[in-house]
Amino acid sequence: MKKYFKIIIISFFILALCDYLIGKGLNFYYLKNTSGLLYRTTYSLDSTKADILIFGSSRANHHYNVKIIEDSTNLSAYNTGSDGHYIFYQTAVLKSVLKRYTPKKIILDFNGTFEFSQQDYDALSCLLPYYRTHNELKDLIELKSPFEKYKLFSKIYPFNSLLTTIIIGNLEINKFRSVNKGAYKGFVPLTNTWEYNINIIDKPEKYNIDKHKYNAFNDFIKLCNEKNIPLTIIYSPVYFKYNKDYSIDICSEICRKNNVTFLDYSKDTDFLNNKKLFADTYHLNKSGAQLFTQKILQFIKH
Amino acid sequence: MLFNSFNYLLFFPVVCVIYYLIPNKFRWVFLLLASYFFYMNWEPIYAILIFLSTFITYLCAFKLDKVKDIKVRKVLLIASIILNFGILFLFKYYNFLTDSLFNFLNYFNIRVRFPEFKLLLPVGISFYTFQAVGYSIDVYYNKLKHENNFGKYALFVSFFPQLVAGPIERATNLLPQFSKEIVFNYAKAIEGTKLIIWGYFMKVVVADRLSIYVDSVYNNINMHNSPTLIIATIFFAFQIYCDFGGYSNIAIGCAKILGFDLMTNFCRPYFAKNCPDFWHRWHISLSTWFKDYVYIPLGGNRVSKKQKYLNLIITFLVSGLWHGANWTFVIWGGLNGIFQVVYSIFKPFRIKLSNRFTNLIQIISTFILIDFTWIFFRANNSADAIKVIQNIFTKHGPLFFGDNKVFIYGFIGLIILIIKDIYDECSFTLTFENNKIIKYTWYATLTILILMIGVFDGGQFIYFQF
Repeated sequence: MKKYFKIIIISFFILALCDYLIGKGLNFYYLKNTSGLLYRTTYSLDSTKADILIFGSSRANHHYNVKIIEDSTNLSAYNTGSDGHYIFYQTAVLKSVLKRYTPKKIILDFNGTFEFSQQDYDALSCLLPYYRTHNELKDLIELKSPFEKYKLFSKIYPFNSLLTTIIIGNLEINKFRSVNKGAYKGFVPLTNTWEYNINIIDKPEKYNIDKHKYNAFNDFIKLCNEKNIPLTIIYSPVYFKYNKDYSIDICSEICRKNNVTFLDYSKDTDFLNNKKLFADTYHLNKSGAQLFTQKILQFIKH
Repeated sequence: MLFNSFNYLLFFPVVCVIYYLIPNKFRWVFLLLASYFFYMNWEPIYAILIFLSTFITYLCAFKLDKVKDIKVRKVLLIASIILNFGILFLFKYYNFLTDSLFNFLNYFNIRVRFPEFKLLLPVGISFYTFQAVGYSIDVYYNKLKHENNFGKYALFVSFFPQLVAGPIERATNLLPQFSKEIVFNYAKAIEGTKLIIWGYFMKVVVADRLSIYVDSVYNNINMHNSPTLIIATIFFAFQIYCDFGGYSNIAIGCAKILGFDLMTNFCRPYFAKNCPDFWHRWHISLSTWFKDYVYIPLGGNRVSKKQKYLNLIITFLVSGLWHGANWTFVIWGGLNGIFQVVYSIFKPFRIKLSNRFTNLIQIISTFILIDFTWIFFRANNSADAIKVIQNIFTKHGPLFFGDNKVFIYGFIGLIILIIKDIYDECSFTLTFENNKIIKYTWYATLTILILMIGVFDGGQFIYFQF
């Protein structure tokens, strides 16, 4: 048995060494990214000093045209929206931002539901590379699992499945590609057009509220209120009809209680009657984003 | 507790250390406690079911051992089978049966509402039920003496490495091992560790990565065209192999470290040259269970050809139903049964050619047939499965790539898997294969790849649902 343990211990140390060296290398190149999703996360957390910040998921990322906002407000803006990342991510980014400076205006694109979804917790993986360097994120990251701090003894683990994204993010070609697509300060327009007819979707009448999500949403509002940052929460257009949405009801109720402006564009007929403004049922395309951003400008200006 | 969870990575080493520290005579008690702890991590209340199944089969076998009267013995066996399968039926098949009956009667405008049971399917119920029932049948046929020690028998039913997804062990193989003195075996432990690493690689690098693509396609089949559906179906073939094969490897590996030998469950199934060969390599513990306890009691090969073909179809239909309470699984089983029958009919007319080219053709054609059946296995319902087949033949267009990571990491995993399977299948002997440095480098690389490109979020083992 001694021999077996010896082998296991030696293997463990060799693996730990490899893990350390590879992890350090991955971290180096991760932070060296000059474009792409990972770069945008790092930039949002560590660098942006924009006056107007837009928060949200892919819908924020593709719906809020930063150029239009900057041109009409004469203020700098940045879109921190990130695909597949909801309220935990948004609150995490806000916490990091507020450690550095106070933006003049914040827009939160509400795209969520307060229902439990494992995917939302899994999506916290994108914050793992910042666990050791950003103390303010630890509480949120540990929502992923109680073992997260132990898993993070591994230096590779935070970069799990990120190898290709890190490589691509370090290539200049990616930067050019983003610019050619019309990407600007976090905003990434979608170019395709939705072809199918509108559907009616059944939304759950009621569900059990995930307290972590609910708290994170409230924390987001609280952080803005504490710093006196004007906050507008928006439900941007969708290409489907629904009778009632429990999540929107909760969101609107929280906003009412906290005196936060809530704008619901999900039933705006300018969008519902024009499928050419959409890339898919949840995302506006470039033209849709342009129209939508112009529509909300009056609220941003105020 | 999932094998690919952090909890298990803590649980197993702790169990191993305590297991080898305590005296031999108490080890089975400790393993029994550990096994129940392992199972109760999912839903503590369902431990009652596994205990009930254990108690029923133990009691019946105890009586079978004492009674000589054939009629009474038969009654005892039937009672054991009915009670065990009754529990399984209630949890797994009741709603399926009532829904099917409702739909059938509704077709004739007869509306009958059956009471509904909204119960969560207990993890691994099909596995431990079959293992326990197999024991009763073995005792009935005097293949095995009844185990007097209830605790050791309870351990046989609940042994944690194979409790929730097999291999479905035979009492003749596993039960006697609990009574033997276990001495730590270095070679076995190393072999077990290698199997565990390879099992994790199959599961988190290959299966879970491919499942991202497969799920995105099969959950939106109307949106996808022929090339996409073909690729997704091929990916699913490897996903399910790596998912279940990976689980089996981890189970066998863990058991080996503890000093136990479990039966081989997968033997490079996609190298099968025909459908019967595939079933000799795929889920071997279940295939042999059905052969021994369903096919042979039905008459097996010792009946007329027509009866034999019918027996084959019945066995595979039951096997399909075992996999899930859904018509898709029944069709999947039926198709596999038909392939077996067709092979048996044409076997005498087969021209025996055996060279590399014909072998390759046989392997590819078997893979295509088996992969075709996987469409029914994976589709969310029968209508979806038909739609997949329709779209494969009619809807042309460009391949959907989705997240490029799936293809890049998935292919890295698949290439390593295929190379290893070819190496094992062809029994190559490489000059450096006994070189320790190369061996350790290979397993260290696998571990690093698991950390770098494995999927750690979500990903239950597919076979848990059975």
